[in-house]
Amino acid sequence: MQLFFQTVVGGLSLGAIYALVALGFSLVYRTMGLVNFAHAGVVMVGAHVATTFYLFAKLPFAIAMAVAIGVTAAIGLVIERVLRPLENKDFDLMLIGTIGFGTVLEALAILRWGATGTAVPSPVRTAPLDLFGVRVRTYDLVVLGVAALATVLLVWFLHSTKRGAAMQAVAMDHEAATAVGIHVGRSNAIAFAIGAGLAALAGGLVGPLLYVSPAMGGSLGIKGFAGAIMGGFGSIPGAILGGLAIGVLDSFAAGHFQGYSELVTFLVFTVIIMVRPTGVFGERTVSRA
Amino acid sequence: MSLVARQSLLARRVLLVVVAATAVVLTAACAPPGADNSNSGQNNAGPIKIALVDAQSGQLSSLGAWELKGAKLVVDEWNAKGGINGRKIQMDVFDDQGDPTVGTNLARKIAAEGYIAMLGTAESAVTIAMADILKDAKIPNITSGQSTGLVAKKSPFLFLNGPTSTTYDETLAKYIVETKGLKNIAMVTNNGSFGKGEHDAFLKALTARNVTPLADQVVTTDQKDFSAALTTIRGKNPQVIFLGAEEVQSGLIVKQARDLGITATFAGAAPQGTPVFFDTAGKANVENTIVSSPYLSNDINDASRKFAAAYLAAFKEEAELHGAKAYDGAQILFTALKTSNAATGQALADAIRATKYKGLLGDFAYDETGVGIFATQIGVIKDGKLIAAS
Repeated sequence: MQLFFQTVVGGLSLGAIYALVALGFSLVYRTMGLVNFAHAGVVMVGAHVATTFYLFAKLPFAIAMAVAIGVTAAIGLVIERVLRPLENKDFDLMLIGTIGFGTVLEALAILRWGATGTAVPSPVRTAPLDLFGVRVRTYDLVVLGVAALATVLLVWFLHSTKRGAAMQAVAMDHEAATAVGIHVGRSNAIAFAIGAGLAALAGGLVGPLLYVSPAMGGSLGIKGFAGAIMGGFGSIPGAILGGLAIGVLDSFAAGHFQGYSELVTFLVFTVIIMVRPTGVFGERTVSRA
Repeated sequence: MSLVARQSLLARRVLLVVVAATAVVLTAACAPPGADNSNSGQNNAGPIKIALVDAQSGQLSSLGAWELKGAKLVVDEWNAKGGINGRKIQMDVFDDQGDPTVGTNLARKIAAEGYIAMLGTAESAVTIAMADILKDAKIPNITSGQSTGLVAKKSPFLFLNGPTSTTYDETLAKYIVETKGLKNIAMVTNNGSFGKGEHDAFLKALTARNVTPLADQVVTTDQKDFSAALTTIRGKNPQVIFLGAEEVQSGLIVKQARDLGITATFAGAAPQGTPVFFDTAGKANVENTIVSSPYLSNDINDASRKFAAAYLAAFKEEAELHGAKAYDGAQILFTALKTSNAATGQALADAIRATKYKGLLGDFAYDETGVGIFATQIGVIKDGKLIAAS
């Protein structure tokens, strides 16, 4: 039983990171109908910026994270602005454009920070909690708390602010939204900026759990993407649920199948998607194209 | 558009991207004309062209960065003395990204472009993938890999600049089981080429001493959460946990193990003696880790002190094992080039095999398998530094 709960705890912590990555993917998708393949690169840049300001500029971790979110939001705006002329014209080129941006971001990160990477000490130094033999790292609780807070803020923004409502409108029907005077380009830009900010949040938080290097985006991006698809691509609660599920699934697969765990994780993922192609919350996926 | 139609559109778009990417990779793979046995492009007047192939990007790039620095020191040293028989050494760097497929492409490229020898890679899997092409092209290769799979290639053109996993793990098992009398041992290894080699070599060394590991956990090379494996190990309460994984992953395993309240001593080979391992795990967490390494510190003798000082002056960082291995490998190659009067192909391979070299790792004398050194020492991490075990 101890093994079971310890495995769940281990999976949830990385799962929260995947959930944040999935949120970024889903937010851009529901607004623009675009899969942003540069997202994993933005996660990696966010992690590097947060690390630079935390370790080398000696800023408090929370401030370093805020700087990273600001920087990546700006990167998100740049990506959206470059791709904007293609909006509603050539979707495939937009898709390939995001892949190109991902490659560029990785190359720039290697130029700026080197390929070797950096280990980040945990900003929370207190010893792990012991709950009936199950050890819970205090930093994991911080990660889960921040992820929950970010989700609440995002949902509040989308449902309770004028700008958020405008984004929802664009997501539902961009032509009708344009007709009532909503600036679609601006709405897309905000989606990209928030998505990139969420990526930085994920990257910055995962730094002390893992190791910050230009190659780190790859597997985080794939697992986050898988989480988003599993939850229902474009759905906010789906992204959270899917991300956490992928984290826990991964953790259990590792325990039972050891060297074959990656294979098992994605086989289970495939079966779930075959049974329910639209994901758990798929019915809420917004259609726009 | 309906949801299903929309998803099928998305699937088609993803497929399009995958097909495009595959086409690009295939085009790149087919581009080089293949191995050229005549060493075209090489003449006897210009610089001597050496290729250094290593991961300069990706998760394994720290190994590539160290190896490049070690080799570069030697190139600069020899060129400052006038090169080899009056010819400068030109060392060009190729990034294999730690990927065997990229490695095979590079093998064809360096064969086609007239490089007469190759240094690297630091990844056994990449070197093994390149070995056949280099053998056909008769290009000697001194690698930093340590997998027994390298020896199994039986290529007369493949040489190691350090001991194999068998030597590392035999020495380690002997120290743990016989010297220290610790027999409650658990293993965590990854399923990559390095981890698999470590797993097999250490298990063999334990079995030879009638010790069965309490737990034998295998993780994937990409795995980042080890809760399940470590909780299983914690339940067995081992005295020692053997690590068979690269620097970063080993560091993460140690960090998570300590968070789970595991107090056992860790043990391992080359990766566990590196600064990346110390930093990833946290200095306090790696205390007392037992390391089997042919190069324990920069303070072993005059040669290592001189090497470390030159390394520090050139790159503003402390030298470590991988830089030292690459340094020895490059010295052996250039010594062989000098004694053979800048020979190429089979003659150069023969010259490398005949070279007796007193290096930073010990005395090199190559046998027919391409291994030149057969000993490691045992070190223990104390106060964040690797020191010889008492």
